[in-house]
Amino acid sequence: MDTLATVTQYTIYLLEAGVLGYLLLRRRERSLLPVALYLALLLVVDGLSRPLVLYRYGLTSLQYEYFFWLTDILLALGAFLLVCLFFRRACGEHRELWQVVRLVQIFVLILVAGISLFSLSRNFDHLFTRFIVEFQQNLYFTCLVLNTLLFILMQQLQSADEELSMLVCGMGIQFAGPAANLALVYLTPGQQFGSELYRHIGPLFTLGMLLTWFYALARAPQFGRVAKPQTTAAELVSAGRGEA
Amino acid sequence: MAMFIAALILIISTGMFFFYFHAICQRILRREFDKDYYLAIVNANRLEFPAVRRAAESWEAPVDYARVQLTLRCDYLALTYLLKHAVNVNRRYTRQEWLLVVYFRTILLLLGLCHKLGLGERSAILNLAAILQYFANVIGQRVSALRFGELSATDYLLSI
Repeated sequence: MDTLATVTQYTIYLLEAGVLGYLLLRRRERSLLPVALYLALLLVVDGLSRPLVLYRYGLTSLQYEYFFWLTDILLALGAFLLVCLFFRRACGEHRELWQVVRLVQIFVLILVAGISLFSLSRNFDHLFTRFIVEFQQNLYFTCLVLNTLLFILMQQLQSADEELSMLVCGMGIQFAGPAANLALVYLTPGQQFGSELYRHIGPLFTLGMLLTWFYALARAPQFGRVAKPQTTAAELVSAGRGEA
Repeated sequence: MAMFIAALILIISTGMFFFYFHAICQRILRREFDKDYYLAIVNANRLEFPAVRRAAESWEAPVDYARVQLTLRCDYLALTYLLKHAVNVNRRYTRQEWLLVVYFRTILLLLGLCHKLGLGERSAILNLAAILQYFANVIGQRVSALRFGELSATDYLLSI
C-alpha cells in the first residue's frame, strides 16, 4: 500500500511539472495564466517544500503536521481563487453578467477569507484536533459549490469552450473527493480509518484533476478534429517481428 | 449539528464526484470523427449495439433486459479486446479509453440496479451504446490508417 502511495505521489509531481512544462512549451502560459500560477503553487508547495520539511523534521513531527495542514489551506484558497478566475473566462462575452458575478465573487472571497482568518485565529492553540478537519471540509465544500455553480452557468450560457469545461470538471474532482473524504474523517470514531483513507486516496483526486487538465489542454482544442492514428503498418510489422 | 453537516457534505460531495466523473466521460464521448468508422467494425465483427440503441431510442414494447445486457457485454468484450490488440503496438488502453472502460462498467452495474429497482433503463442503455460506438470508432480510425494495396482496411472490411 505504501509503495502504491509513493508511486502515486511521484506521478503527481511528474504531472504537475509536466502540465506546467507543457503550458510553457506551447507558449500558452499567458492565455492560461491562472492555471499556470496554480500549478506553480502546487509544485512549490506539494512537490518541493513539503518533501523538504518532511526530510528535515520527519513524518510524525509536529512541524510537519503544522506545515502540511497550513499549506493545504493555502492550496484550497489558491484553488478557490482559480475558480473565481474561471468565472471571468466563462462570462467573457457577457459583460453585464460578469459585473454581477464579480460583485458576488468579491463578497464570497471576503466572507471566506474573513471566516477562515477568524476561526483560525480563535482555534490556533488547538488547531490540530477535529477543528482543522472540519475547517478543511467546509473550505473544500464551499469551493465545490462555487465550482458547480460555474459548471451550471456554463451550461446555461451554452458555452462552446470545451477546454474550460474540462478544466472545471477537473477542479470538481479535486474538490469533491477531499470534501467527501474529510467529512468521512470527521464522522469516523477516533478518525483513524478516515485519516488513513485520506492519506492514501487523497492524492488520487489530485492525480485525477491533473490528468483531466492534461487531456483538456492537449486534446480539447482539437475536439471535432481527427486524431492521429496510433500506429503505422511498418511499426506493426516490426512489433510483430519483435514478438516472434 | 456538526455531525449532521459532515454527513450531508459526505453525501453531496460523493454525488458531485460521480457527477463530474460522468461529465468528463461525456465530454470525451463528444469527440467527433470525420466519418462513421464504427460501421466497418460493427459489420466485420457482427456487433449488435447499434440495433440495441435503435430499439432503446424507439421504445414502445418492453425490452428483453437479459438479452440486452448480454449483447452489450459481449460487444464490450470484443471491442476492448480489439482496442488493446488491433493496430496497437503498445497493447494497452490510452488514458481516456481506460477511463471509459471504468465508466462502462459503472453504468453496467447501475443498469442492473435500475432493472432490479424497476427504474428507467433507457438512458443507461443509450450511454452504454455510445461508449461502444466510441470504441468502435477509435478502432475503425486506427485500422483505416493502414492501407493494403489500393484498399484501406475499412474499405476492405466493408467490401466483404
